[in-house]
Amino acid sequence: MTTPVLQVDALRRSFGPATVVDGVSLRIDPGETVGLLGPNGAGKTTTISMIAGLLRPDGGSVHIQGVDMASDPLAAKRHLGLVPQDLAIYPELSARSNLSFFGRLQGMRGAALRRRVAEVLEVVGLTDRATGASKTFSGGMKRRLNIAIGLLHEPRLLILDEPTVGVDPQSRNAILESVEALSGEGMAVLYTTHYMEEAERLCDRIGIIDAGRVIAEGTRDSLVELTGRTDTVTLAGDGPLEEIEAAVSRIPAVREVHRITGEGRLVMVVQGAPQAISAIVATASGAGMTLRDVEISRPDLESVFLHLTGKALRD
Amino acid sequence: MRVVLAIAWVELRRFLADRSNLFFVLILPLAMVAVIGWQFGSDRSGAPLSVQGPGGAATQALVEGWEDAELAVTLRDTPELVQEDVSRGSAEVGVLLDPEAEAAYRDGIPMELEIITGSSSEAPAVAQVVRAQAEAVATEAAQVGLLETFGDEAEARAALDDASTLVPPAQLLVQEPEDPVAVAFEGVEQFDSGAVAQLLLFVFLSTLNAAPALIKARRDGVVRRTMAAPVTTAQAMAGLTTGRVVIALVQGAYIMLASSLLFGVRWGSLGVAVVVLLVFGLVAAGVAMVIGVLVDSEGAASGLAVGGGLVLGAVGGSMVPLEFYSDTLRQVAQLTPHAWANDAMAQIQRQGAGIADVWPQLGVLAAMAIGVLVLGSLLLRRSLARAM
Ligand SMILES: Nc1ncnc2c1ncn2[C@@H]1O[C@H](COP(=O)(O)OP(=O)(O)OP(=O)(O)O)[C@@H](O)[C@H]1O
Ligand SMILES: [Mg+2]
Repeated sequence: MTTPVLQVDALRRSFGPATVVDGVSLRIDPGETVGLLGPNGAGKTTTISMIAGLLRPDGGSVHIQGVDMASDPLAAKRHLGLVPQDLAIYPELSARSNLSFFGRLQGMRGAALRRRVAEVLEVVGLTDRATGASKTFSGGMKRRLNIAIGLLHEPRLLILDEPTVGVDPQSRNAILESVEALSGEGMAVLYTTHYMEEAERLCDRIGIIDAGRVIAEGTRDSLVELTGRTDTVTLAGDGPLEEIEAAVSRIPAVREVHRITGEGRLVMVVQGAPQAISAIVATASGAGMTLRDVEISRPDLESVFLHLTGKALRD
Repeated sequence: MRVVLAIAWVELRRFLADRSNLFFVLILPLAMVAVIGWQFGSDRSGAPLSVQGPGGAATQALVEGWEDAELAVTLRDTPELVQEDVSRGSAEVGVLLDPEAEAAYRDGIPMELEIITGSSSEAPAVAQVVRAQAEAVATEAAQVGLLETFGDEAEARAALDDASTLVPPAQLLVQEPEDPVAVAFEGVEQFDSGAVAQLLLFVFLSTLNAAPALIKARRDGVVRRTMAAPVTTAQAMAGLTTGRVVIALVQGAYIMLASSLLFGVRWGSLGVAVVVLLVFGLVAAGVAMVIGVLVDSEGAASGLAVGGGLVLGAVGGSMVPLEFYSDTLRQVAQLTPHAWANDAMAQIQRQGAGIADVWPQLGVLAAMAIGVLVLGSLLLRRSLARAM
């Protein structure tokens, strides 16, 4: 088994009487992207601060690339890139100077540093604004610079704490693409977000955190299965609906089939629609159906959270 | 080391990015130069000394002596012109020599000068320098005269270099019957230590501005981000401090250099003075770091910096000279970096002290600097856990 890039065990932290992080454990392997999803005040940022060595845990441990953060913080931090939730840039300095400075702190220099600075400026779309003081940037531009600093040194572990708040869709897409590319090269990513679609797009696994505890963890599909709810597949078209119904019922993933004859529709309750859909379509066609429309609707992470906590994820 | 320099460089750039800070590095020191130069400079009127004499060896030797003491000398043809210079204030002091003085100089016996002191507050100090210098010139002439009895003049001068202390000094007779050397020295002392006190007060105050700057960096999140990189708190502290000490040094050296060039204020060896200033600046920067990590509000930190800087300066002899303090107060003063720095700078100025002579003061200042910087490093780590 490979050493995990990040191994977090039973992390705890209180502020005064309030226990804010209460036994969080996580593991991220190379190339894996793990999301942390939870409502405001769940303890995501506090957890991240402890992982990044900025906050001393009351209990538990953090290992990055097998290095214990408590006993050798400098070595552990060498593998880490952090994009904090709150902006962390020098407003007096330009985008380029900000990047060069934080690059130097990571031990980069010379031509390699300059080349990498130019690359990340391109990724976050700030090449034309590389030289002006960053305090003159729009909110979204500042966010993009904030992210660029975390990506700069191509860390083994990249932690992004709600990085894309206030970033427009095109820029967000460029940023997500670059995170995906780095992840493809083996970088591990820990990602917190309130955007369900970002979590679904990026994350191999998602941890759901509430009141300082990870209450569920797994792939998106396995989490959705926790709700006991299944996907709904609707086929619309012409053909011998009764025979088609009988044919698709024999597919193991299909739990129930409802026939709405007047509208020419079959509505099915399916376990794992994305995997079963091709079999369903092929079977229906084989049974003589001419398809007009196929619709899959799936329960989302929002409903998972609701199911697990009885609370909405967002206020 | 590279990390420390990177942080220091960013601190400098942040400092310079704020236009109002240019006021602190360029304009305010210029004002300090003017104030110090005006109060303590030795030749602000251009020609503080107006001289009339027969123009023989004595006149020449004396004028050279005064010019070596950085007094500007104007030679006049008649005693009346000298009187006029002094009464109109275009000279602080007038000196009249007669042929008898020339003869006395030649013979190595006490010569008599007439010294006319002007009415400005500056004049007595200048007169004392004039006297002390004339004394030195006369003494040398007397020593050479004495030695000449053994050979020719060139040999005598060579012998003098080896044995000047073996010969009893000659006397200089002036109008006012005071001990010229003691008075002159005392005058120089008060005269320039005021400049030291003001310099230290200013550098300390302006360096404490690092405290609100650090709070702003903490608020901007860049300190946290720095600490998430492979950087120790000691490195971060060293970087933050280095940036500020460089600013303190630039300010201090600039004030010393400009006031000595423009106004002839004497600071002793500039090199040694800069070393004292460096260690003193480290203490100031360290105190600023402690304030900057303990306090979370920039306004409060600015107030604390100005108030604290003034109180430390006042207690440490930067407003009233330590010589006027009671013994108890002097002991309290020893707790401030100002007292030690004032003491070291005064020695450099008055006695031409070198690094070796001011070791004790440098040692105490260095210990203070290490103390505040270690404290700052410890507090910096803890400050990361605080919400701002
Ligand atoms: N420095 C601190 N001092 C005291 N309480 C704190 C501190 N930092 C966080 N908290 C508290 O800890 C709890 C968790 O905060 P945290 O920032 O970790 O939440 P989060 O999950 O990141 O929320 P969000 O989604 O809003 O960013 C909150 O109740 C917060 O008030
Ligand atoms: Mg947060």
